[in-house]
Amino acid sequence: MMSGQQINSSFDALVVGGGIAGGETALNLANNGFKVLLIEKELSIGGKMILLSKVFPTLDCAACITTPKVSEISRHPDITIFTSSEVRNITKTGENNFEAVVVKKPRYVAVEDCTGCQLCEKACPVSVRDQYQFDLVGRKAAFIPFSIASPKAAAIDIENCVLCGACEKVCPTNCIDFTQETEEYLVKINTVVLATGFKLFDPLMIPRFGFGLYKNVITSMQMERELAPTRPFNTVLRPGDGKVPDKIAYVLCTGSRDASVGNPVCSQICCMYSIKQAQLLMGTLPMADVTIYYINIRSFGKGFEEFYQQAKGMGVNFVKGKIGKIAEKENGNLILRYEDINEGIVKEAEHDMVILSVGVLPNQDATGLFKAEELKLDPYKFIYQSDALESPSKTSIDGVFVAGTASGPMDIPDSILSAGAASSEAISYLIRNK
Amino acid sequence: MKKKIGVYICHCGGNISDYVDVEKVRQAIENEGGVLLSKTTMFACSDSNQKDMVDDIKNYDLDGVIVASCSPKLHLTTFRNVSERAGLNKYNYVHANIREQVSWAHSDDKVGATEKAIHIVKAAIAKDRFAESLESNVIEARKAVAVIGGGIAGMKAALTLSDMDCQVYIIEREPYLGGRIAQWGPLFTTNETGKDLVNRLYDKLASRENVIIFKSAEVIGNAGSIGDFKLKIKVTDQNEIIEINVGSVLMATGFDPYTPKDGEFGYSQLDNVITLTEFKQMVEQGDKLLVYKGKVVKNIAYIYCVGSRETEGENTYCSRYCCTSTIHTALLAKKKFANIYNYHFTRGVRTYGKQEILYAESLALGDIYLQSNEDTPPDVFQNGGKTIVKVSDILTTGREIEVEADLVVLVTGMVPRENNQVGTLFKLPKGRDKFFNEIHMKLRPVETVIDGVTICGTCQGPKNILETVNSALSAATKSFSYVSKGVLETEPIVAEIDTEACSWCDACSEACPFDAISKIENGTKSIAVINNSVCKGCGMCTPVCPTDAIDLVTFSNKEIESMIDALAND
Repeated sequence: MMSGQQINSSFDALVVGGGIAGGETALNLANNGFKVLLIEKELSIGGKMILLSKVFPTLDCAACITTPKVSEISRHPDITIFTSSEVRNITKTGENNFEAVVVKKPRYVAVEDCTGCQLCEKACPVSVRDQYQFDLVGRKAAFIPFSIASPKAAAIDIENCVLCGACEKVCPTNCIDFTQETEEYLVKINTVVLATGFKLFDPLMIPRFGFGLYKNVITSMQMERELAPTRPFNTVLRPGDGKVPDKIAYVLCTGSRDASVGNPVCSQICCMYSIKQAQLLMGTLPMADVTIYYINIRSFGKGFEEFYQQAKGMGVNFVKGKIGKIAEKENGNLILRYEDINEGIVKEAEHDMVILSVGVLPNQDATGLFKAEELKLDPYKFIYQSDALESPSKTSIDGVFVAGTASGPMDIPDSILSAGAASSEAISYLIRNK
Repeated sequence: MKKKIGVYICHCGGNISDYVDVEKVRQAIENEGGVLLSKTTMFACSDSNQKDMVDDIKNYDLDGVIVASCSPKLHLTTFRNVSERAGLNKYNYVHANIREQVSWAHSDDKVGATEKAIHIVKAAIAKDRFAESLESNVIEARKAVAVIGGGIAGMKAALTLSDMDCQVYIIEREPYLGGRIAQWGPLFTTNETGKDLVNRLYDKLASRENVIIFKSAEVIGNAGSIGDFKLKIKVTDQNEIIEINVGSVLMATGFDPYTPKDGEFGYSQLDNVITLTEFKQMVEQGDKLLVYKGKVVKNIAYIYCVGSRETEGENTYCSRYCCTSTIHTALLAKKKFANIYNYHFTRGVRTYGKQEILYAESLALGDIYLQSNEDTPPDVFQNGGKTIVKVSDILTTGREIEVEADLVVLVTGMVPRENNQVGTLFKLPKGRDKFFNEIHMKLRPVETVIDGVTICGTCQGPKNILETVNSALSAATKSFSYVSKGVLETEPIVAEIDTEACSWCDACSEACPFDAISKIENGTKSIAVINNSVCKGCGMCTPVCPTDAIDLVTFSNKEIESMIDALAND
């Protein structure tokens, strides 16, 4: 354990979170000449966006937009990236000085030597669920997170590893190193940007939808993986029996606008990503019927309403009504009981696959970071914007800014603009306090 | 002529390879003259492939590189940088678009798509054979930014630029700053009034030495380009035209509220039909009782999406801010005045994100919501001296519901500025919705195709205040990054005059949209001369030259002709 090692005290900014908002912020700062330390808790930067299929309303492939940004971030001379790392605490030590403790967890692979050859993956005898494919398929305990990960290097999942040493034996560059330990660093910075992102709603919280019980009820993030270029099955199929579905249902507002599960706010992105997935499904499975069950369709952004109308024109079936309950038939098909608002009656419909459009929840990773100062949260536990209309990225602590979904649900364009705002405030702050 | 070209053909994870047989494309071009190396790749833009390309360029000493992938709008710069990192001048890189121009356009014809892709890659090879190393032009960038429009977006952008030690000029058409928000009462979410918010910003701006504010002023002339725009400003009641030089221009010209047509939901025909803008002022100015034309108002009907989400006509988009703004104002009215009953005739409420809480509060306080489809809008008519709003309400299975309204508020959305001369002055492109258009919503959301001109706020599309400020700050960062270093690199892609062949006929200078061509005397004759810092390399001048005396660097006649040969050859 290397405790309290000081690596470099001259970072101008600490960016917590390496998703699209954190990455954009780091780039904006570095491109204006500031030195940035970017901390990401996952094995790769790129956040959730790098795992998506295509993005609304332009249908650009998400990887095509994310990977070059990720690439630019990872080789920028003024950006230092720590993956599989966490910030333990941040202390304000002066007017514009902070100290942060960063903990880097061992990857058990020397990243600079790994060529990404995947021999260790093949040799590893342990199979576990692949979190980057949202449990749709398995992975090994020695694994490369995903094909477009950055860094594209293996990692050892030590919790599931049986320490058989098979990976070490086959590794051609001897980059596997079981002696790696947790490292702790103390860094000095002048400003902090929190870009800790969001969590997805866990549909196990709504037992009546049968997620986890009925195999053909999946989440929208799982469908996102099924539609992505780096998809696990190379086609869309339902997990229960591998059948290609032809009558697909979307349940909007799963875990959003629902005080009964503790989340009364609208998640802002689910209508649009569901409409996008419906369009992609109609392209992939031209014979399939796609039905979207909704409360209101909120296609509010630039080009969004037109995208919604386009989906209607393509034949996506929109039904205004909330789903009461989902039941499974013997053949794995699902019966949706719902209130049809237009007809004013309760109806049932059979689908062979159901996608729960899960909402956005606050990621509370940043909550306990500050000990002496209070980082205020809003009533929904997102980071509180202390001057929401004049300076949306200001938090309750002077010199600490928030970017992206850490302050509330938002889509990719809004996250990028929010990151632009946070960078702007951070740059002004750095220049003002020079 | 190049002999060692590397060609990479991208699957784009299936975006291309689902329709184009990329391996067949590779085989078809691997023996083309000059090609040393050809590969296919899952994602050409991925970090790992970029590293492989750098290694290839170094190991094989490549003198030209081609990636056949998506539109150059997305990744020309990405791969030029790869080339640079490997030590190969970036102008030896040529981009071939086989996604937007091939796989997406011909998804119904895989054989034809593959054929077309082969031709496009062969044409890129033909062009790359003639490509030459070039150096970027380095120009001086003035550390000053002109902010056009002094509403909330412009004020906030100006303040931030001032913080960044940048000279700022605000040019506002009205005699006051603050834009539309200056007249608004309490705002969602903070309940601060619009007036207070604007005053807070104004006080800060007024104390800044590096901020100059022109009120009642308009930009009437623009010459120059990124790094050094020369703007002419006319201030009302002043004879003198003011000239300023700035490195970047930030557009924050805002929106117009939609004006309903005569008779649209009774507007300008029934005497108690007003717009949301008018209603906001009424609520702000009223005291104790809400009175309209001498009568106390009790029942208010709000008709949503007036001028937005139209099935026919120009405004097919959603105006984004109006649902929340209306509910917020309706609640203000309810809390401020006695006996107010709000009836909302919606097309589906869009209080996205945390704004949902406001909708929930409104429901809890007894506001009534009705909903109709786009093809069955509410009907507003007069019956026995009373104004009636009638709708077939889909929330109660299409029941016909009538509300007797003392006041009908048309929830009018945002439309682009009617007087948008200044946009024309900078040749800013507009989108389908007629708002100014960014280059790419996610990659370059505040930049325009006019180098050095950024856009933000509602001149780009409907936004609420928070979103407007976020975009203003983003645009400020972008404008700052153009000017912060004092120098800028620009593309060396400019027109060149063959002084022998030129015999000044004026055709090129008339064709030039950037005023980059002028006449000089050269010995015994007059010839054309190109101003390199103004020339954008658009190529408008080359085809009009009767003596073929103009060539465009990187798009020379020989390059274009060899591409045409490759495309035409079977």
